[in-house]
Amino acid sequence: MFGISKDFAPPLKLIAPFFRIGVTFYLISIIALMFFNSSFTYQQIQIAGWLHLFLLGFVMVIIFGAMAQLIPVVLEVGHAVVDLYYVILPLLTIGTILMVSGFWIEPSLISYGGLLVLTSMVIFAIEAFATLRKTEIDTITVKTVAFSNTFLLFGIVTGFVIALGLGGAVSVDISNMLKAHFYLVMGGFVLLTIMGISLTLIPMFSLAHGFSDRAIKIGFNLVAIGVIAVAIGSIFDLMTMQWLGYLITIIGVGFYLYQIYIIYLLTVRKELDIWAKSMIFGFGSLILSVVLGLVYFLPDMSENWLHSAIWFFIVGFIGFLINGHLYKIVPFLVWFERFSPLVGKQKVPMLHEMYPKEQATAMFWYSAIGVLLGGIALLIEHDFLFKAGVSFILVGAIFLYISMIRMLNYGK
Amino acid sequence: MCKITAEDVFKAISTVIDPEVGFNLVEMGLIYEVNIDENCNVKITMTLSTRGCPLHQMITTWVKEAVLKLDGVGEVNVEVVWEPAWNISMADENVQKALRGF
Repeated sequence: MFGISKDFAPPLKLIAPFFRIGVTFYLISIIALMFFNSSFTYQQIQIAGWLHLFLLGFVMVIIFGAMAQLIPVVLEVGHAVVDLYYVILPLLTIGTILMVSGFWIEPSLISYGGLLVLTSMVIFAIEAFATLRKTEIDTITVKTVAFSNTFLLFGIVTGFVIALGLGGAVSVDISNMLKAHFYLVMGGFVLLTIMGISLTLIPMFSLAHGFSDRAIKIGFNLVAIGVIAVAIGSIFDLMTMQWLGYLITIIGVGFYLYQIYIIYLLTVRKELDIWAKSMIFGFGSLILSVVLGLVYFLPDMSENWLHSAIWFFIVGFIGFLINGHLYKIVPFLVWFERFSPLVGKQKVPMLHEMYPKEQATAMFWYSAIGVLLGGIALLIEHDFLFKAGVSFILVGAIFLYISMIRMLNYGK
Repeated sequence: MCKITAEDVFKAISTVIDPEVGFNLVEMGLIYEVNIDENCNVKITMTLSTRGCPLHQMITTWVKEAVLKLDGVGEVNVEVVWEPAWNISMADENVQKALRGF
């Protein structure tokens, strides 16, 4: 038996800024996409700038905010030093702005921004490890938190080596190091974190019980091995090892998808709310991404297949999984802070009443259409279609932003 | 001799609503057992729909407070157990229909 004490739950004033700033970065990153074309290479510095804006400003900020709330839920203990999250956010925010400015305007800012981002992530990882030491439970989710944070630390180190290399302080193969950095952070931290946390949250919100977690365990091990293989293969320029790593990762993702399918079969709650719709589109995007990635592996295939696969993975899968969960997590946090003390004394709202349904629906459809158009545009290198897709996502992002403000202000 | 019945306790707990799903804990089938001794001390054995529920402690407090409102009640103890694990077949038919019927 255990209890999640109210003392374990961080206050809303600590977590809300993560979500507010995260969706702001999301909006800015989609506006920035309007200035890109459908044909590009990953070596372009403008693309690196956009990826850091989206992945650090939106994905990392939201994941860190969510982890502030979810780590006690998953580990069943309180944070080691929860107040460190007050330091993590400004460091990450300013660091991201400096880094993106560095990529787009003044390259010397990359190192300074990188140092701030590095510091924020090191603090996050150390706090997470200190909290992990307090827990006695040993679930697959706990294991993913431990592994993903280790990969994050290695990802930060490779990122910093790149920054030093760009500044001329050290001599490294930037292209190879970039691959290792991208894979350690995206596969090692973001993907493993999503895999682990979704195994707690999806059954919780869908009321699915009594499923075997064998598939996710295999998937988790394969993705971890794949990330290590790609990272080592990239750093030491071993092509076979890299390709093997990609393949192992894809098989691992296949097992993860199979686990989600098992959970779906046992889902009790069939309501197609904004969360459920977002999960369906998100996992659909992941399947599409895997298929496009596999096609790219065939001989003589254009890089467009890879671009489209990464688009569906980042904007479709990660974007929808995060945004869909915001409509569950934020109302809960607000309810917990403002309404839970009133239970039994006066009528309190239900969680589903606390998000604007029409705006959420508009956010979903505009974003979904935009992601599909954008993915097709990247595949066929069609600039007009790409801009049309981004325009749809932008409208969706505006609805998300308004929804977030309304959810955070509910009952104020 | 205690005049409080298990039915009274269930009725009191049925005022506690799960804010996520919108049903009360009794119709959700989360209350496993109610024991009342001769001094009107009440022991409630219950579960939650998910392990790791962030509202764990608050829900048990709401249950305790709801039962303490009964006239003549003594001490109230709430124990949360995970065996048997809750599943939807434990919920009332109206809950099952509502959750599955959207």
